[in-house]
Amino acid sequence: MNEGEYFIGKTSATDRSSNTSDKFSFWLGDGVIVNPFDIVEVDQIGRDGKSKTYGLVTILEHWTDSPNHLANYISSNFGELTEIPNTPRQGTTVAHANVLSNTADIYMPVPSEKLVRFATPEGIHEALGIKDMAEKERIPAGLIKMSNGNACVVYLDRRYLLGPVSAHLNITGISGLATKTSYAMFLIQALLQKATDEERKKIAVILLNVKHGNLMQIDQEPDVQPDAKQMELWEALGLQPGKFDNVHYFVPRGPDGQANCYIEPNTPTVYAYDFRSTADKLDLLFADVPDTYSTIESIISEIREGVLTNEREFQDVSSWTNLLDGPPINDPNRRGDWRNIKSTSLGVFRRHMRRMVKTRQSGIFVESLSRGEKPLGETLAKTLEGGNVYVVDIAKLYDHEQMLVFGDLLRTVYRLKSEDLPERRGKPVPDKIIIFVDELNKYAPSGHQVSPLTQNVIDIAERGRSLGVVLISCQQFMSQAHERVTGNCATKVIGRSAAAELQEKAYNFLDKELKFNIGRLVSGELIISHPVYRQPVKIIFPKPTYRVKEF
Amino acid sequence: MANPLKQISPTFDALNRHLKVLPATGGASEELVRPDQEEIDDALINRSINRVTEFAESPTPNIDRIYRSTPPLFRAENHLFRFFIDGSFRTYFLGTGVEVGRSFPIMLAQIGAAVIHRNDHGALSVIHNERQLLLLLPGQGNGVSDTVWHQLERIERPGYFRIVNYELPDPLSEDKKDARDKAGGKVRAEMHELEAKLINRTDGQRDKDKWLILDGATKFDRFIQAPYLIGVAKAFSKQPEFRFGGIKDKRDVTSILAGLPHYHRTVAFSAYDGRVAFWYVRLREQRQVDYPLMGVVKVELPTPDKKPVDAELLDLISRALVAERSVCPYGLDKRWHCCIYPIHMAEQVIKNSFFSNEVIMGAIKWQQSQGGFHE
Repeated sequence: MNEGEYFIGKTSATDRSSNTSDKFSFWLGDGVIVNPFDIVEVDQIGRDGKSKTYGLVTILEHWTDSPNHLANYISSNFGELTEIPNTPRQGTTVAHANVLSNTADIYMPVPSEKLVRFATPEGIHEALGIKDMAEKERIPAGLIKMSNGNACVVYLDRRYLLGPVSAHLNITGISGLATKTSYAMFLIQALLQKATDEERKKIAVILLNVKHGNLMQIDQEPDVQPDAKQMELWEALGLQPGKFDNVHYFVPRGPDGQANCYIEPNTPTVYAYDFRSTADKLDLLFADVPDTYSTIESIISEIREGVLTNEREFQDVSSWTNLLDGPPINDPNRRGDWRNIKSTSLGVFRRHMRRMVKTRQSGIFVESLSRGEKPLGETLAKTLEGGNVYVVDIAKLYDHEQMLVFGDLLRTVYRLKSEDLPERRGKPVPDKIIIFVDELNKYAPSGHQVSPLTQNVIDIAERGRSLGVVLISCQQFMSQAHERVTGNCATKVIGRSAAAELQEKAYNFLDKELKFNIGRLVSGELIISHPVYRQPVKIIFPKPTYRVKEF
Repeated sequence: MANPLKQISPTFDALNRHLKVLPATGGASEELVRPDQEEIDDALINRSINRVTEFAESPTPNIDRIYRSTPPLFRAENHLFRFFIDGSFRTYFLGTGVEVGRSFPIMLAQIGAAVIHRNDHGALSVIHNERQLLLLLPGQGNGVSDTVWHQLERIERPGYFRIVNYELPDPLSEDKKDARDKAGGKVRAEMHELEAKLINRTDGQRDKDKWLILDGATKFDRFIQAPYLIGVAKAFSKQPEFRFGGIKDKRDVTSILAGLPHYHRTVAFSAYDGRVAFWYVRLREQRQVDYPLMGVVKVELPTPDKKPVDAELLDLISRALVAERSVCPYGLDKRWHCCIYPIHMAEQVIKNSFFSNEVIMGAIKWQQSQGGFHE
């Protein structure tokens, strides 16, 4: 390689644009191609000889000596479109870079006139801090592709994804182009593949299928095998393309007792909710119902306590119909308030409950469970086991039903990890339980009002790290998800997003220049911000290699 | 960062030892160039051609038809001009030297010249670039004594640093009365010498298809006789009178140029006894500029053999010159309307290679209390 190919430009500091400890600029040699997110290196002084400073290219600008556009117009013989200049105007492209790191921890500004070159794959690892990551903690997160053709695998540090140092991962980006679910599944697959057999037996994964049948065939071979390019990508990442093993599907009961899902998997478990198994989760149904004076919350508390402590008033309440049409909630003989709650408030509660479990329900609420129907939370609490993947389908459920199911899952997992171990559970609780959910903004919306369900999500986000519960979540707009949830996600992944969305406070961790580039990301390209990295990086990743039905 | 001018300090130390120096207020101060300096220089250099009576092209033109059409001939069709040379300077007044009742200004100047090459794709590259630092002192009569001058000459100094006697005659300074003006003229004369030196370095690279454009006149103290070279002056003397025939046929430059259509040239006129052919070319339409004489350049072609130049060659040169209108340094140079962009770039190269004013002013400070200077 000759020097002309090796070096791509020279650092440049001017009287108006200085190089700083955080940023530097460099002009590019003729014909050199550099793009945002390329990682470059520059020699810097060191205590014992030279050191290297790495930079992440954020934006490129083309400068000419023309003081204004009018000068260019005049230069083209006063707007003559066909004028071909005898001498092209002098100009150069200047790249601006954020300092990633220095090999000797020297953060003196990079001097002017220093030669710049693309970082090598080893250099990229050093720049990002991956070099110091223990081999066993590395989870392949994707491939950085540089403009010079160099490619480099980037890794997430397991300790920052699964705890104990930090945990959780959030993916954001517009629908269709951001490939959020695909990336989450890729990462889970990478995580499971890179775990030892012993470790894998201690990791359980719960996936919520929220859209069509996206995740309902993850244990099936794909209809079309990955092409050579995809295979290269898998190989470069050191992973095996393939389907998921040990998958268990939970599908909701439909109106006639059948499975209510877009794609029915083999041997699914049908789940449903009768009153008795739902009495302690009624609050989850009311996440979207305004309750300014906490009246409904009071009624729900009374019911829960009444059922759980088997109060005399509730001994005959064994079904939704009993609850709605009989005493104590609807007692025609009662005069006045019930437990200091006005009858009008009870009426409001009954109207909402009737709507949710009777008139506007998908079939999930039953008066009593049949032999084939299982209460989801209790079943998972008994059977959840490391080394397995559990897919819970909620795609066809109404919003309030989805909230109930998700909340039920969270509470079950939280209880499993924190306190109540079911007595009949004859197997150990997995060390790590990973929960994947799309449309996080639905369950933990931004704002000051915190519903019981949102509180559950916040609890997981804030305390899951120490418990071993890991939330992998997605949404289209991070600004619409609760900041205490997204803020606790140590790793953030961003796909293509609209410029207006990127101006929101939730994206303050990104430089203005980097935000411009996010609007240009194509399908399969993502930006990752990870605690170990000094700057977000752009990666590509392979497509799923399980069966996905296009809708 | 170390003082880049440290090597010239011994000379200033000696100057300080042998002379009493009254320093310029605030240290060295840059002498600003007059906006019409180029035109003044042209008038000085060409003062002998106040009257033009001969044509310098063949076939001999008719006085009634002195304009010829020269539509642009772009690089893609004929890449005639490959080399471009310009010179530039900065002058600083350092103070007043006093020696045995004689007083005189002490000046410092940076002069530079650069040759730019343009390749077939239009890309520019610097092939020659030289910078000199001049200490200007008067060396005769009322100037520095012979003893001090010799002592200054004996001091070791870097190759780019010279001591120049601004009392020595040259076309640009000999008529000046004020010593600082005289020194300024000397600086410009030295710059032209440097240009001539760099032109010689392109000998062998120029041929009939590869010409060089010099910024300004081709005749200075002596003729630049290098072949395949033209001088293009953006500003020029308005003094010459053109007389072809009786006394009533007298015309001045302004009246000739006012009628010069765009993308046309005048016929070539003879000067210096036929050793220079010069003519004018309008690069821009009059409606594009503020004043009829804007957008016109004066072109000089050395003709050492004193023979008239073939009109077709003059047309070719002029057409290629018209094509140099794009791009132009509008907004960067007040003379954008007649500026040749690669010449402008050569000027930028030189100016960017000069020591900054901060370096000059910071490096050469006089110690007022001691009447001397320090770094």
